Amino acid sequence: MQKVVAISTAGAAAAPTLVRGRIVRTKWARNVLMFLMVFGPGLIVMVADNDAGAVSTYVQAGAQYGTKLLWVLLLLLPTCYFIQEMVIRLGIATGKGHAAMIYQRFGKWWGVFSLIDLEMVNFLTLVTEFAAISLAVSHMGIPPYLGVPVAAVGLILMVLTGSYRRWERITVFFCLLDLAWLAIAVRLHPSVGQMAHDAIVPSIPKGGITGNLIFLVIAIVGTTIAPWQLFFQQSCIADKRLRFSDLKWARLDTLIGAIFTIIVAGCMMLAGNAAFDGGIQFADPAQMANALHLAAGSQWVRYAILLLMINAAILGTGAISLSSAWAYGEVKGWPHSLQLPFKQAKGFYLTYGVCVAVAAGLVLIPRAPLQLIILGVQVLAGIILPSAIIFLQLLLNDKELMGDYVNKPWNNWVNWTIIIVLFILSLILAAQVVAPNLFPAA
Amino acid sequence: MSFMTATMDIDVSQIPENHYFVVHPLDDQPEEKIDTSMLGPMPMTTSVKISLMALRGYLVLMVILVGYHCMDLAGVFGKH
Repeated sequence: MQKVVAISTAGAAAAPTLVRGRIVRTKWARNVLMFLMVFGPGLIVMVADNDAGAVSTYVQAGAQYGTKLLWVLLLLLPTCYFIQEMVIRLGIATGKGHAAMIYQRFGKWWGVFSLIDLEMVNFLTLVTEFAAISLAVSHMGIPPYLGVPVAAVGLILMVLTGSYRRWERITVFFCLLDLAWLAIAVRLHPSVGQMAHDAIVPSIPKGGITGNLIFLVIAIVGTTIAPWQLFFQQSCIADKRLRFSDLKWARLDTLIGAIFTIIVAGCMMLAGNAAFDGGIQFADPAQMANALHLAAGSQWVRYAILLLMINAAILGTGAISLSSAWAYGEVKGWPHSLQLPFKQAKGFYLTYGVCVAVAAGLVLIPRAPLQLIILGVQVLAGIILPSAIIFLQLLLNDKELMGDYVNKPWNNWVNWTIIIVLFILSLILAAQVVAPNLFPAA
Repeated sequence: MSFMTATMDIDVSQIPENHYFVVHPLDDQPEEKIDTSMLGPMPMTTSVKISLMALRGYLVLMVILVGYHCMDLAGVFGKH
């Protein structure tokens, strides 16, 4: 039996120098501790994906089709896990972010194109996040001119601590607040049998395949698997300096994150479903929150949904802005780590700050074209996603880069299937943009 | 020793037998990774190159299309 196991291979070689760590007595405790140390990026990337736009999409899906689209979410669980699992391997194998990899392995054109596309989609998404914050705070009686800047300042301060761990702990705390969606779903007394049936048995809702249904399904897919996630998790892994020995724990972290986020998304759909059952009409989740407290028989449901909307937008904004700042820093060759103080990574922090501040400022402009921005986000994200995953797939088959961590044949089968489906959805979305009356109306 | 020690600076050679030493990735020595800057562009077959060129054309076309559609909706080309 091995007497002493140093998890750190590099640290062990450096003996007798001092290494910061913990000593545990059992293998079980070692595994738990290792997992807790690695835990974070997977949960954050998944939960942050349930951002303000996602809340809106899921509750709309529930409000329009009840629980009939729960099976789409269940299908998306392995999909988002497999995509992010590739990102973990790439991040651990290279220790670098996704933007840097595209730039180095596919050349300047693709590097610049991917970066501009990412920054553009990310910025537009940030505007929608702040629009949601503005909406939620105004429904809580707080003026948006106060609520939005406070949220923006809080988001900037969160990353300025010069400690990756501090940022991660705060963000994981915000992620866990999403557990409140489960309490809301339980409070709304959904039919468990119907819910289980609709989650497992794929079916087309009454009314058949309409333009509205197709658009909603594409929106669900687009909101569950977003391009920024690839960039975010890889940069996060590189910033956290995850090691080869951390791979299995990073996979577990991501799997837990995927399961958690799909359950939360299902709860959001159930909230929409409660509105559907109660004949409640609403234009956005904030209106739904106001109406649902009657169905739930409690005011806390109203405030909980509004606060969760803000929480979703905060998580989304933080993660998306960081993915922009990391990607820009990687391509520009700037220092780009949350471990660095502001003075040593000015470009990185300023990119983050500018993204947050400008998006927040734009929302406060009266009559800003928010609907147009939301449309732009959905369409651009739908276009960029399949191509971003193609690059991921090519990088994961790059033996020079990946070594022993290169994709296995079954990985490729799964991933090409996902890419083909995403491309078909992307083409349908493009066709809808060109010809809005292509599919029958609801 | 209790079940688990607090986080502290430890001399690896002084760890008791049958115990495990756990280090947070950020406290560890940076692990040696592949030097990607030395690799250069990825070697690709002709079919992959052609596919990527087609993808480039598709993406440029779609971005122009989306841009046009958004500007149209914004009323840049006059109201319908």
